[in-house]
Amino acid sequence: MHPDRSYEVIVVGGGHAGTEAAYAAARMGARTLLLTQSIDTIGQMSCNPAIGGIGKGHLVREIDAMGGVMARAIDRAGIQFRILNQRKGPAVRATRAQADRALYRQAVRDILDEVPNLILFQDTVQDLVVESDTVRGVVTGTGLVLHAEAVVLTVGTFLGGRIHIGEHNRSGGRAGDAPSIALAERLRELPLRVGRLKTGTPPRIDAASIDYSRLDAQPGDEPLPYFSRWSRGDEHPEQVACHITHTNAKTHEIIRGALHRSPMYSGEIEGTGPRYCPSIEDKVVRFADRNAHQIFLEPEGLKAREVYPNGISTSLPFDTQVALVRSIAGLENAEITRPGYAIEYDYLDPRDLAPTLESLHLPGLLLAGQINGTTGYEEAAAQGLLAGINAVARIRGLASWTPARHEAYLGVLVDDLTTRGTSEPYRMFTSRAEYRLQLREDNADRRLLPVAREYGLIADADWADFERYCEAIEREQTRLERTWLRPQDLGEDSGEALLGQPLRREQNLMALLRRPEMEYDRLMQIPAAGPGVDDPRVREQLVIEARYAGYLKRQDDQVARQARHEQTSLPVDMDYGEVAGLSSEVREKLSHHRPATLGQAARIPGMTPAAVSLLLVHLKRDEPRKRA
Amino acid sequence: MATRTICAVATPPGRGGVGVIRLSGPDAAAIGAAVAGPLPPPREARFRRFRNAAGEHLDEGLCLYFPGPKSFTGEDVVELQGHGGPVVMDRLLQALIAEGALLAEPGEFSERAFLNGRMDLTRAEAIADLIEAGSEAAARAAMRSLEGAFADTVHDLVAALTALRVHLESSIDFSDEPLEGLALNDLSRQIEAIRQQIAATQAAARQGQQLREGLTVVIAGRPNAGKSSLLNALAGRDAAIVTAMAGTTRDVLDTHLHLDGLPLRVLDTAGLRESSDVIEREGVRRAQAAMAEADRILLVVDDGAAEQSDDDLMAELPAGVPVTRVLNKIDLSGRHPGLLAEEPNPCLAVSALTGEGMDALRESLRRTAGVDEGEARFIARRRHLLALEQAAAALDEAAEAARTGLGEELIAESLRVAQDELGRITGAVTTEDLLGEIFSTFCIGK
Ligand SMILES: Cc1cc2nc3c(=O)[nH]c(=O)nc-3n(C[C@H](O)[C@H](O)[C@H](O)COP(=O)(O)OP(=O)(O)OC[C@H]3O[C@@H](n4cnc5c(N)ncnc54)[C@H](O)[C@@H]3O)c2cc1C
Ligand SMILES: Nc1nc2c(ncn2[C@@H]2O[C@H](COP(=O)(O)OP(=O)(O)OP(=O)(O)O)[C@@H](O)[C@H]2O)c(=O)[nH]1
Ligand SMILES: [Mg+2]
Repeated sequence: MHPDRSYEVIVVGGGHAGTEAAYAAARMGARTLLLTQSIDTIGQMSCNPAIGGIGKGHLVREIDAMGGVMARAIDRAGIQFRILNQRKGPAVRATRAQADRALYRQAVRDILDEVPNLILFQDTVQDLVVESDTVRGVVTGTGLVLHAEAVVLTVGTFLGGRIHIGEHNRSGGRAGDAPSIALAERLRELPLRVGRLKTGTPPRIDAASIDYSRLDAQPGDEPLPYFSRWSRGDEHPEQVACHITHTNAKTHEIIRGALHRSPMYSGEIEGTGPRYCPSIEDKVVRFADRNAHQIFLEPEGLKAREVYPNGISTSLPFDTQVALVRSIAGLENAEITRPGYAIEYDYLDPRDLAPTLESLHLPGLLLAGQINGTTGYEEAAAQGLLAGINAVARIRGLASWTPARHEAYLGVLVDDLTTRGTSEPYRMFTSRAEYRLQLREDNADRRLLPVAREYGLIADADWADFERYCEAIEREQTRLERTWLRPQDLGEDSGEALLGQPLRREQNLMALLRRPEMEYDRLMQIPAAGPGVDDPRVREQLVIEARYAGYLKRQDDQVARQARHEQTSLPVDMDYGEVAGLSSEVREKLSHHRPATLGQAARIPGMTPAAVSLLLVHLKRDEPRKRA
Repeated sequence: MATRTICAVATPPGRGGVGVIRLSGPDAAAIGAAVAGPLPPPREARFRRFRNAAGEHLDEGLCLYFPGPKSFTGEDVVELQGHGGPVVMDRLLQALIAEGALLAEPGEFSERAFLNGRMDLTRAEAIADLIEAGSEAAARAAMRSLEGAFADTVHDLVAALTALRVHLESSIDFSDEPLEGLALNDLSRQIEAIRQQIAATQAAARQGQQLREGLTVVIAGRPNAGKSSLLNALAGRDAAIVTAMAGTTRDVLDTHLHLDGLPLRVLDTAGLRESSDVIEREGVRRAQAAMAEADRILLVVDDGAAEQSDDDLMAELPAGVPVTRVLNKIDLSGRHPGLLAEEPNPCLAVSALTGEGMDALRESLRRTAGVDEGEARFIARRRHLLALEQAAAALDEAAEAARTGLGEELIAESLRVAQDELGRITGAVTTEDLLGEIFSTFCIGK
């Protein structure tokens, strides 16, 4: 790094959001600087050593389709892979992997090092350079003033971070790291709405002190799943198992006895924690009738001696932590290596952001990751990627990337955040996606790779490979639609058996494939139907789409109906006081949110169809004036 | 350009009069032809019989076809002019909806006309007013339609469906948590139970439609304005006590009457004024409550009593309820009887004592009743029935998916659609609501 050089994009923070943002920006050709507190913690997992899961795995596949880091990194660092919802349908199937923390950090670092115009620098950002309400750079703790055309802020849980363990609390960004106090104070002076959230983590346990002999092992899946479409399946390191144990009545008694010393219950913590990631004390209080809670013992790495007990996140005092851990089967002699804790931090209200993740109040500033009120590595990484792309799009005058709700989980994520805001750390669930049936892990590439290619994020060879894949799908799809089977085409005996039901009239192969119990392989055994294609990925796409056809069609219709609203943009400086007929409540909401499109406006809680009509009429009335 | 074809009642079904139904959008011609038979040449009226898909004769009357862009909305428009009352018009709408049309939102025809440049830009404000007033009336009517037993059954229905979705969605999103799962045949049983519940609700709703007792008109005004006298004049009998003393009427008096076959419920109320009398104060409170629930207010003003500013009185009326102003006692003031301002917020001069101007008032009430009832309430009921029908169809789809062993995610999709449809009646159940239910029902999280 040379202090006199100016950069096009400066990314602050080397977590999951920051690394994706920097990688995408640099690969789009921007001179990019990644500024982070410690170069050694680039790609660090603050909490649970796992990537993916239901909803989250979907995000990882989308990041991969956009040419991002996370999927490739976890494929090199995952030590136990599973497909969740295996027995359910393809839309809700999701990949999850345990990670070796050290390998993961290394993989992220190696991938970043592939890009020549990405510069890493270790320093702490304390202030933003703001000129005429536009962000033009950053000021660091060592006094450097660095200029850039866009700044992406991804400082995670570090803003005004406060760590709680029992009655003790202190400032901290996560255990072992300093918080960002100066920057937090500075941000509170800028015209941004700031709120407070909290999250927690369990104590870590020395693997050598665990008695595994009495615990159930949970191995990974065979064949080994992988995340990245570019992976060949041989990047995975050695695989290991997780183990399962449970809390018991005695554990719960210990917890109840110490509740008065918990910062959650003494009122010491104000921030709202995630409901789906409650601390063990929360679970014991809220579900008092349960006498056991499940705990996954997850290895932190192949060489690491530490184990992450997933399920007992806590901020109880350390002596209670020791007692509660040791009350659990297999952990009777457990040695805690690091205490569990809760952390409170500042987040910036994401309703102050455009769908590009650029600040509505401070152009030139983009925000991504936990700073926007989300939780989770995948949610952070996905936002980072989008912010990185849009930072460069802004500088180069390219169209920005704001995927719609039916195009990507990333679209759902950003739309939810920017239109509804959040009152607790936001995590992705598939039930958040009304177009869940189209937003699948298996078709993330078909949904997004063409977009990534437009932004120069896909290499020529990879693109050619993808085009061949799409062509193969189309070709076979056309063949299935155009090949008709007549009852007399079925062989004497085998035909009906293969179809499962008799064939009463002529049907095309696609219609037959739509039958719920039909399999591609079986259908292709009918001489007049075969031989079909070999590529299992191509087959999979055909079968899924045949199976979902009616449902997908209905969702497509819905999308088409809303398209007009989604494409009608609302000016950022629109004066909602001028729109005739709006109630003052709706007016205030709109002025507050500044929706980017009519579609987004319609999704703001409390909006009515009539209000949307009034906006339309207003826009139309203003049209000739604008043109003049 | 709009992609949907919409339909609505353009002029409300007066009793015995002509009611017009309009269709607008890309499929207007096809849908119109499905119900009315071959369309006449553009802009020419032809006599047609209107039938539904089952071939049932619904009504007969004139059919007109206006191809876009030279039409009211700028899109293809078909107009059906029938003779039937509200029930027949409702069945006509049903037939159009069955052919693929959607019920128009309040003001949507005008909105399209405006957006397609068929309306002067200077009329933007007027269109805005129309949309606003229409949606308020629709909201009020929807609320009214959702009263009593019908509301209870719909709310039970929503609760049952939400509970089922909580199970299903959590088994999808939290399948790695040890939750008490829902066995597939349990799922089928519960879907079937909810389906039955919808059928029962549909029956209740249809019955509600027949039991509809007509509009509620509330007579209100200052003490001694002649409210009770007006009621008596409308009813043609001495239903209410009339005295020269201000503050005669204390409680709300409830009367049913017919204006040429139009059923009306008319409420006489205590005069609006500040009072130290406890009973009178309670009377005024009841008067205000009655006004808030009214379909229309008859605001009676003593024309002779160099009226204390009308604005005060207007300010005491609930927002959103249409008002007919009645200047009473013109036998004393000497004003000519009859209509002074047009609907939808007419003003009339009458004498309750001599009966002068009362025919004009009856006539005006009939006309506005057509609007109040025709648009708002009967459309609200239709929307509710439609939503129930769609929800029922979605549940059938869910049941079929469960039966043939399609994945849970497809069952969940159908249930989501069903819930969205019911949401049109009771307000949407959002993902946030659902997640909230999930987290308070199950212990989730590691
Ligand atoms: C205690 C705890 C428990 C958690 N529990 C879970 C969980 O159970 N499940 C889950 O999914 N997620 C959990 N998370 C959240 C998860 O860790 C985050 O969502 C994710 O890491 C956010 O990514 P990020 O890129 O936004 O921020 P981070 O990964 O936090 O990265 C922030 C980066 O910014 C750098 N930085 C901060 N301030 C400055 C500055 N002023 N100048 C320069 N660099 C700076 C930091 O060094 C760091 O590299 C937890 C986090 C914590 C701390
Ligand atoms: N001349 C004349 N007198 C009328 C007319 N209408 C009502 N009155 C008289 O006005 C007085 C009050 O009439 P009510 O009908 O009791 O008035 P009200 O508004 O019901 O009064 P409260 O119930 O006390 O609020 C009575 O003496 C009526 O006879 C009218 O049209 N002409
Ligand atoms: Mg009276």
